[in-house]
Amino acid sequence: ARRGAVLGWVSAMESADGAVRTLPSTGRLSRGPPFGRAHGRFGRSPSARVLPPAPRSQEKADPQRTALLLRKQWTLYSVTPLYRFSDAHLRDYSRLLSAFIAAEKQKGLAVEVGVELDVKVAISSLPELKGSNQDQAAVLVQLSLRPSASSKNSEEKLIWSGCFCSVSGDDLSENMPEDFTCLPLFLANGAESYTSIVGSWFQKTFDCYFRRLAISPLNLSWMAAMWTGCKVDRTASAVELVFSVPCLPQPLDISYAIHPEDAKALWDTVQKTPGEVTQEEVDVFMDCLYSHFHRHFKIHLSATKLVKVSTAIASAQCDGIIKFLQSQYLTGVLMLLTELAISQIQ
Amino acid sequence: MDVAVGEYIRRTVLKIPRDEIRTVLQKWGFLSEAQLQSVNFHQVKENTAREVVQLCEENSADIKQAAVLDIIYNHIYAEKRMWSVYQMNRTGEATEIFYLTDFKKKIKRRLRSALKNVTVTFREYEHNAIWIRIAWGTPYTKPNQYKTSYVVYHSQTPYVFISASVYKSNLPLLCQALVVASNYHDIREMELRSHSLNSLKDIVFKRYSQNFQTYCPRPLQDRNVEPESADLRIIQENRSEKERIQRVNREVFGDGPQPKIEFAQYKLETMFRSDPKMDVLDKKEPFRCLIKFSSPHLLEALKSLAPAGMADAPLSPLLTCIPQKARNYFRIREKKGLLPGSFVSP
Repeated sequence: ARRGAVLGWVSAMESADGAVRTLPSTGRLSRGPPFGRAHGRFGRSPSARVLPPAPRSQEKADPQRTALLLRKQWTLYSVTPLYRFSDAHLRDYSRLLSAFIAAEKQKGLAVEVGVELDVKVAISSLPELKGSNQDQAAVLVQLSLRPSASSKNSEEKLIWSGCFCSVSGDDLSENMPEDFTCLPLFLANGAESYTSIVGSWFQKTFDCYFRRLAISPLNLSWMAAMWTGCKVDRTASAVELVFSVPCLPQPLDISYAIHPEDAKALWDTVQKTPGEVTQEEVDVFMDCLYSHFHRHFKIHLSATKLVKVSTAIASAQCDGIIKFLQSQYLTGVLMLLTELAISQIQ
Repeated sequence: MDVAVGEYIRRTVLKIPRDEIRTVLQKWGFLSEAQLQSVNFHQVKENTAREVVQLCEENSADIKQAAVLDIIYNHIYAEKRMWSVYQMNRTGEATEIFYLTDFKKKIKRRLRSALKNVTVTFREYEHNAIWIRIAWGTPYTKPNQYKTSYVVYHSQTPYVFISASVYKSNLPLLCQALVVASNYHDIREMELRSHSLNSLKDIVFKRYSQNFQTYCPRPLQDRNVEPESADLRIIQENRSEKERIQRVNREVFGDGPQPKIEFAQYKLETMFRSDPKMDVLDKKEPFRCLIKFSSPHLLEALKSLAPAGMADAPLSPLLTCIPQKARNYFRIREKKGLLPGSFVSP
């Protein structure tokens, strides 16, 4: 009865299978409610999304803490709800995870003679990272290498970070029984081996299930459109779309980088509803870019696979890798990613 | 033998794949056959390298011989470097007779008088190819054998292939030396770069099969050796369109293998034009983009796009002109006053 959406015990992390269950959405549907988020049900991509709120200029709630998310490459996972997790016991969890890691290392994974692998675990709460009050505060897991007695360097070195979060994840948490904590989005930075160990411990301890978050070309094009429209203070970097054509005798990659002012000028004429973006608008934006390209090269970009999107505020790849570049838009991007994670879980 | 020379030889040998070391050393010819017999080439590379250095010590190798070994290595593994193409011009029609000794003397003299400390080594290969290796120093420091540039000059042509190094500031001096030594007036860099030296040669020496417009009297069916399927239930749809695409592709790309280049880059400064019904961007300024195509074998990949249904046939001349124009970097601006859709490439 307590299983919920969990699929069972898995001790290893599952890699992205690349198939996010988003059905092609019909672009001519009527728009969603202006100030309520359109719900993505059963993996269907919404016909409209509310734009993230404009960045608050005094969003200084300890920028140090959220700054640790910026400019790093994060691998994304969706996580099913955690059973009987409590943020009052973070210290205990740190100890238990630390013991687990030590035990795993003892099992004989890459042992280097003479090097002491003393991994310190710190689990903390990041209340700044949430969208609404219903959201659970984010949980940060950090692994550092404790300096060995013989080492001259007395500083701890951060070797791996993981962050569970939920930004505007009401879709999932709405009807969740009390015992479950909803933090559907997980970000990992650092060696894959540690991600695997930490993930296994959480899966065993809280009966949850991690899965690599794949980002479909459809969702990548949403990101391209939405992020292009964001106002950036400093000189923005180009809007870059990377397309891959793997099925030819020789693989081909096409990088299409547009001057940020020109991209934004195009988007501003396409996007007509204030505060909201529709599927139709995203389609028109992408079609414009495709037809400009086709005019020059006679190649149909729509027949290729969009694999990466890079803008001044963030970059995202189809295999679920993200990089946050602007602190003011951090929550907005996390909101979109939370939605994708929930979509993958349901 | 100088310790630094020994170290340089050791590092050069380590770069060579284990199974090729013997062959390369034979080409070098500095160690006798008997000496080569005494080396165990089937052990760990580090040990083989040490044995080789030991023998070089016995033969009192100096930097000149070490430099020759390096040229031989780079000649065999030329694709590890990025090559740029330069074209020299001379006024007057008279073809000057090329004197190799004169050429070598002039190059050495020019470089030494400017920098005092340079190691210049020459080696001749077939088809009048002269390889030049330059290790750069300054008037106050010895030449750094690890900071080298390589030049390949085919004496009967105006083309020079250069793989520069980090010391880009030495490039003008190098170009000047080449122009003076080969009796030309000036030199300019072409917009053509690749790892494949042979493909660059194919392109500038027009050694690929060019797409001449040929009148083909035989009906196409005779040429297509595709066997008819024995099963009458299988019908080929769009047969005539498929054949048209094949024919046009052949006309545009030629029949033979394409020169091997890995990328092409287009800086677009053309206007954005759209269907007036779409009511989008209608700026009077260019829509600035930077487009990069990359592939292990770009031209073959492009050639396969139309048959795969991802591009129109014929493919845009912007792409198919790469071998003829001998360039893979382009800047495309709008042609003024002429029909829309025509581009000019400076």
